[in-house]
Amino acid sequence: MMKNTSAQAAVKERPVSTLDQKPARSERRRDPWSQLLEKVGRHGDRQAYHALFEHFAPQIKYYAMANGLSSHAEELVQEVFVSIWRRSCLYDWRKAAASTWIFTIARNQRIDMLRKMRRTSAEMPVETEDLWQIPGDNEDEPVTSLHRLMSERRVRESLRHLPEEQITVIAKVYMEQKSHQMVADELDIPLGTVKSRVRLALNKLKVILQDQNV
Amino acid sequence: MTNHHPDSLMLMEYSAGNLSEPHALCIRLHLDQCAHCRSRVDALDSLGAVMMEQQSHVAVAESTFDSIMARIDSEPEPRPVSPTPRRSALSKLLGDDLDGLPWKRQLRDVSVLDITDRFPDQDDQVILQKLCAGGKAPVHTHRGEETTVVLQGAFADNRGVFNQWDFVVLGQEDEHKPVALEGDDCITLSVLSAPLKLTGTFGRLLNPFIR
Repeated sequence: MMKNTSAQAAVKERPVSTLDQKPARSERRRDPWSQLLEKVGRHGDRQAYHALFEHFAPQIKYYAMANGLSSHAEELVQEVFVSIWRRSCLYDWRKAAASTWIFTIARNQRIDMLRKMRRTSAEMPVETEDLWQIPGDNEDEPVTSLHRLMSERRVRESLRHLPEEQITVIAKVYMEQKSHQMVADELDIPLGTVKSRVRLALNKLKVILQDQNV
Repeated sequence: MTNHHPDSLMLMEYSAGNLSEPHALCIRLHLDQCAHCRSRVDALDSLGAVMMEQQSHVAVAESTFDSIMARIDSEPEPRPVSPTPRRSALSKLLGDDLDGLPWKRQLRDVSVLDITDRFPDQDDQVILQKLCAGGKAPVHTHRGEETTVVLQGAFADNRGVFNQWDFVVLGQEDEHKPVALEGDDCITLSVLSAPLKLTGTFGRLLNPFIR
């Protein structure tokens, strides 16, 4: 039995909300973080911004440290939050939950930081955001797609039922930026095993996705 | 409507931000035209958010917040009112006239253009290939993994028909003999993790990838 991770603990402790039984109503509602982010976007609300900082900055700092940017962790937190402030007026709760939106900004700022550290010429012909999109940036996208609103809640729900070994692999891919091969090497298991764990886990999400497309 | 999509493992690596820039470009070009895969990536981005939330957290000094506010106040960048209409990554890289690029003809039906130098500081090889309308490429296998997205026209091989924005990954075991459909020249963007290996008699001729 593998060591219990904090992710797993959090998954187990999370209580079943009665709202989950009535998705139609509850999922149309904005979650509190999305409401705060909208206040920042509309009114430059600094109190709301500070609340977002208190909630998300510690997550982003860990994210930076987990993927080898320890000595730049505070710097990444700063870059992410400056970017959140500047882009908040583009945020649309109908296109992504605040936490998903903030995750994609953190991911892009991390990629950006690594590109800038690595590059040998001043030229960057393609910007990070040309390659990795922030949800909602594309104006042409039809506004409300219900699956976007439901995604996060359902993902959280389905994660509860995943075996720990699957969550461990996913966490390494997302938090430590490890390729499937690197995860296999680190856990000393065959690459095929890593891939099948990920597939099994994603299968649950895919089923969810199909439900949402109806 | 695209029929050939990236597999879930690759989309997950994309969502996690682990792919190289050329691989990410192939995915992005496909996503821009494929609502089905966009919703898959939405779900994967949500998975990323939930992972970030459920892993450990590390306390951040309150002074960091003050520094951020000081930065926001001192360098007040105009907040964008609406998303600026962006040129697609493809037209930034290659302009809007794919046919007008300095193609190098390798065979009667096949031209290539190596654009690896547009992606500095990384190891993948990035190749544009053009198969003229109705043209045939020689049989070949792939020495490593080759990720391809169709930019224009369509081609067919033993796996089926690949239309514009379709996505395919071929490996060592995949031998194929693509034929472009009539109508348009077929242009593809391929990212190679190792040089192409040819099995047919035209092998040496069409071997622009080994230098």
